Amino acid sequence: MNGSPNSGSGCNFAPWSDPKEKPLIRFDAVTKKFGDFVAIDNLNLKIYEREFFALLGPSGCGKTTLMRMLAGFEQPTMGSIMMRQQHLTDIPPHRRPVNMMFQSYALFPHMSVEQNIAFGLKQEKRPKAEIKDRVEEMIALVQLQAFAKRKPHQLSGGQRQRVALARSLAKKPKLLLLDEPLGALDRKLREQTQFELMTIQEKLGTTFVIVTHDQEEAMTVASRIALMDQGKLVQVSTPREIYETPNSRYVADFLGDVNIIGGHILGPDDKEDDIVQLAWHEDYAPLRIRLPQPVSFPEKGTERWVAVRPEKVRITKEYPTDTHNILKGKVLDIAYTGNISTYHVETEDGQIIKSQEANLEHLHRRAITWDDEVYVHWRAGGCVLLER
Amino acid sequence: MRRFSFFNASALTLGFAFLYLPIVLLIIFSFNESRLVTVWGGFSTKWYSAVFANKGFMDAAWVTVRVGLVSATLATILGTMAALVLVRAGRFPGKTLFSGMVYAPLVMPEVITGLSLLLLFVSLDFDRGFWTVILAHVTFSMCYSAVVISSRLVTFDMSLEEAAMDLGASRMATFFQITVPIILPSIVSAWLLSFTLSLDDLVIASFTSGPGATTLPMKIYSQVRLGVTPEINALSTILVVLVSTGVIAASLLTKRREVQRRREERAAVAGG
Repeated sequence: MNGSPNSGSGCNFAPWSDPKEKPLIRFDAVTKKFGDFVAIDNLNLKIYEREFFALLGPSGCGKTTLMRMLAGFEQPTMGSIMMRQQHLTDIPPHRRPVNMMFQSYALFPHMSVEQNIAFGLKQEKRPKAEIKDRVEEMIALVQLQAFAKRKPHQLSGGQRQRVALARSLAKKPKLLLLDEPLGALDRKLREQTQFELMTIQEKLGTTFVIVTHDQEEAMTVASRIALMDQGKLVQVSTPREIYETPNSRYVADFLGDVNIIGGHILGPDDKEDDIVQLAWHEDYAPLRIRLPQPVSFPEKGTERWVAVRPEKVRITKEYPTDTHNILKGKVLDIAYTGNISTYHVETEDGQIIKSQEANLEHLHRRAITWDDEVYVHWRAGGCVLLER
Repeated sequence: MRRFSFFNASALTLGFAFLYLPIVLLIIFSFNESRLVTVWGGFSTKWYSAVFANKGFMDAAWVTVRVGLVSATLATILGTMAALVLVRAGRFPGKTLFSGMVYAPLVMPEVITGLSLLLLFVSLDFDRGFWTVILAHVTFSMCYSAVVISSRLVTFDMSLEEAAMDLGASRMATFFQITVPIILPSIVSAWLLSFTLSLDDLVIASFTSGPGATTLPMKIYSQVRLGVTPEINALSTILVVLVSTGVIAASLLTKRREVQRRREERAAVAGG
């Protein structure tokens, strides 16, 4: 679940935070309508060179439309899409320095693996020898040397996926679009292929834009994730930021598991001045949340929510010390998934708090079991305050 | 599973007898030694040699084949274009009318088609002959090929064309390098169907033909008016074989392609 801080293209790769860096792709106030339906709603976005950029969201959120506009299969109703100094909107799909890997792979069934990969190069009428070298290079890149002469229907799903990748990379596009590239693969193969994609992306330095509805996939491969909902960008951040400091309940809830408690701002903590207190229930002590330094304190009485990830909530039978937020409750349910156990704890007023513990040792007897009286607790730095 | 009862068996036999007995009789009597059509005089293939020696028959056969080749080719090209518009163009004003009009000649009585074409050629002062028969055949076989090809295009995966364009192929290049090769089996079966339709047409050809462009069915019909000879039986047998080969080949092509496509789709879904 945790997003690797090194994903994408290395530790210090962060062109989006450098104001001098010019974006490769720029969406300016792009709107796309299909009849009355607004698929993309006044969207602004910058994608930088060498990025592995993920468009994430539920189905129907507009992520595929956004990608098809980059490929040229859809035209924006309003706004412009720029690639460097060039208006992409004026260029038909077959002239764009953009290639796409289709969800269905769209391999040409009447052509062999080699011919599929060579197709794009042949359209440019490159010399035969050059095409041959490039095709060999691409086949080696995706390790399909033994299958070069086969037709698509003689390949497994994983092999087809590789052919599709090689074909879309053969023309050295400035931008590669991947539409749910791993959707048809089973779980094991998908994880393996995610790492291969990252390796290939780092090796070639091509900018990748991937569309996916699988948040783990986005977290694994991407340098930045754009979470979309109803044609709008909800948050655009690195995997770590989007997971650890979501900007809304929607984001917190979409990525991974989360406990959300609503309340009203009470004021700063008496001891630590970067901690804010949130009154959430008249019978209980206020919750305490540590704010990131530059943020100004919200006014007293405003409605806010606190989000805390289950893995940051500890569960004990004894009353804990050295922590900020403590709730008392009863174990309602335990979900054992091998590596971790998730405890569902019901507080006295009916609020369910999820707590995750790594199973460090073999479970012969649980220390905590159903109906036990327990304390769930987390530190002020382990949760975030949400405005919406 | 239903039982194969006596009733089913006899219904099937009767049905098939009704359909095919006349043709079977014709084929049997084409091997008759006797000159009398209805009296069996022993096995012989001499009437087949007689057919090939008959210059009138051979000329008519040559006309028929040329008409078939040209009209089937034209009908397939036009049918492909019509099918593309019907399947791909999305909604446009008059689409229903257009598709109705493409398919209408399928159910139009042949006499009407023939008569109206005749009137057209006469009013245009067009010399009737080889080319008028071809034009007439194109008009009705084009709808058949449009039907065959559009049924394939409906299941065509559009992402294949998008992928080709994405890789730098223009619309034209995409059509000829991707679309046509993939739908080729249905184009071939449309051609075969058009060819056989042209081969066995009598009514429309009679209306639109002129001197020097007598097709084989016309020739047979005029001969029969003078009396049925075993030669005609032999010639008809050859036609039956040709036509049924064409139709069977066309349907096999479509079916085999369909089976293969399903298998590929299943493999694509299961593969992984």
